[in-house]
Amino acid sequence: MSHWLNHHLQAIKLVLSRMRSNALSSFIICLVISVALCLPSLFYLGVDNLSKLSQHMQNETEISLFLKLDTSSETIAQIDSALSQNPDILEYHFVSKDQAWQQLQLKSKDNADISNAVNHLASNPLPDAFFIQAKSAQPEQLEALRSSLQNIEGVGQALLNAEWAKRLATLLSIGKQFVFFVALLLAVVLLVMIGNTVRMQILTQKDEIEVSYLIGATNSFIKIPFLYAGALYGLFGGILSSIMITAMIMTFNQSIAEISHLYSSDFSLRVLNLQLYVSVTAIAIIIGWIGAYLSVSRALSVIRIK
Amino acid sequence: MIQFDNVSKRYPGSDEILKNISFNIDAGEFVFITGHSGAGKSTLLKLIAATELPTRGTVLVANQNVSQLKAWAIPFLRRRFGLIFQDHKLLFDRNCFENVILPLRINGIAEQEAAKRVRAALDKVGLLNKEKTMPITLSGGEQQRLAIARAVVSRPTILLADEPTGNLDADYATEIMNIFNAFHQVGVTVIMSTHDALGLSANKKRVLHLNQGVLTDTTQSQFGSNLNTETSL
Repeated sequence: MSHWLNHHLQAIKLVLSRMRSNALSSFIICLVISVALCLPSLFYLGVDNLSKLSQHMQNETEISLFLKLDTSSETIAQIDSALSQNPDILEYHFVSKDQAWQQLQLKSKDNADISNAVNHLASNPLPDAFFIQAKSAQPEQLEALRSSLQNIEGVGQALLNAEWAKRLATLLSIGKQFVFFVALLLAVVLLVMIGNTVRMQILTQKDEIEVSYLIGATNSFIKIPFLYAGALYGLFGGILSSIMITAMIMTFNQSIAEISHLYSSDFSLRVLNLQLYVSVTAIAIIIGWIGAYLSVSRALSVIRIK
Repeated sequence: MIQFDNVSKRYPGSDEILKNISFNIDAGEFVFITGHSGAGKSTLLKLIAATELPTRGTVLVANQNVSQLKAWAIPFLRRRFGLIFQDHKLLFDRNCFENVILPLRINGIAEQEAAKRVRAALDKVGLLNKEKTMPITLSGGEQQRLAIARAVVSRPTILLADEPTGNLDADYATEIMNIFNAFHQVGVTVIMSTHDALGLSANKKRVLHLNQGVLTDTTQSQFGSNLNTETSL
C-alpha cells in the first residue's frame, strides 16, 4: 500500500516539477484549456439564468384585461359582474385609468428621462384595466380563459402575461441543445489538445522511457506520470476558468444591476456557482486523463515496438 | 542461473544471428562473451535480459522460461539484472545523481533510502564528488562508470555488460575491469561481452566465443572466483 502510494506521489511530484521547469508553456496550455472550458460555461450560465427568469414569469397566472379607451362606467360595472360570476377566476381587481396614471408618474419620478416623457404627454393615454388572478396555472386553461375574456363586450385586449415568457422558454430549450453541442465539440477539442500535449512530452522523454523499459519499469510506471499530467492540466485549466468566469460574472452583475433597477427587480447572477465550477473542473480532469491515456497508449506501443 | 538450450535468433529479414546455442551459467560466475563485431554478442545479452525473445529454443533465467513469461512479468525479470549498454544510455537531461536513482524509483524505493544507496553506488565507482554534475561533462571512462553505478544501485544478482571497455583506452579499461572484479568477488554473476583481447589476458575467466552466430569455443571452468582452470584464447 505504502509502496503504491509512494509510486503515485513520486509521479505527481515528477509531473509538477516538469511543469515548473516549463512554467510558461504549461501556463499557456492551461490558459487555452480554461478558455475552451469558459465558452460552454458562459453559454450555459446565460441560458440557465434566462430560463430561470422565464420560469419565474411563467408561474404568474395573471391576465391583464385592458378596456377600450372610451368605455363607459356602465360597461365597466357589467364587466365587473361578469368577472365575479366566472368560476375560473380566483380574484381580480380594478385599476382605473386615473390610478394607473398616478402610479406611472410616481414610478417614473426617479428616472429623469421617463418622467420628462410622461410630463410631456398632454392627456392620460392609459386605459382602465382589470388584473385577474386565475385559479388554474395550466397554460391551456389560462389560454382558454384569456380568449373567453377577450370576447366580453368593451374589452380592448386580454393579455396573458406569461405568453412571451413561454415563447422565450421554447427558444431557451433550443438554446440548451446548442449549449450541449458546443460543450461536446469543445470537449473533443480539449481531448485532442491535451492528448497532443502529452504526446509531445512523451517524445521529449523518449530516451528515459526506453531506458526505463530496459531496466525493468512496468507499463504503469511509465504511464502514470503522463496520466497525472493530463489530469493536472485539466485541474489547472478548470481552476483558471472558474476564476475567469467569476470575474466575468462580477462585471456582468454591475450592468445587470443597472437594468434590474429600472425594472425595480433585484435580479443578479450568482457569483459563486460552486456546482458549476466543480463539475466543469471535474469534467476537465476526466477529459485530461482520457486524452493522456489515449495518447500515452498509442505513443508507448510505438516506442516498445521499436 | 542462466540456461540456453538450442537457442536460435533471427531478425525479420536477416540471416540467423545465433545458431543453436546451448550453455549454462551458474550463479557467481564471471563469463566473457567474445567474438568479432556482428558475431551476435549483443543479441546474446539481449536474449538473457529478455529484451529480445529467441526464434527457436529455450532461454531459462532462474528457472523461468523467458519466452513463456507473461508481458507483465518481464519487467520483474529484468530487475534481476544490472544492464550496462554499449552506448551507456545515460540520460543527459539530468545530473549524475538523478541518472543513478532511476532504477530505484522504478523499484519503488523510498526517497531517503534511495538517496543513500545512490551515494553508495557512486562511491563504489569513484564518482561521489560528481553527484551534481551533468553526465555530458564527464569523460568517456567516467560515463561508463556512471552507467555501472546505475546498473548496480538496485543490487542485482546478475550484471550484464555489453562491451563496457570497447571505446576506452587501456588505463580506463583496467579501471572498469577492476570494478567488475570487485562485484564478482562479492558474489555477483558477471556476464560481459568484449572484442578486446587485452581485457581477457589480464583476467583469466570463463569465455564463450561466438563466431558467425555459432558458439565455437566453450571453455568450461571449475567455477569459483579465484580458480583459473580454464584456457584463455
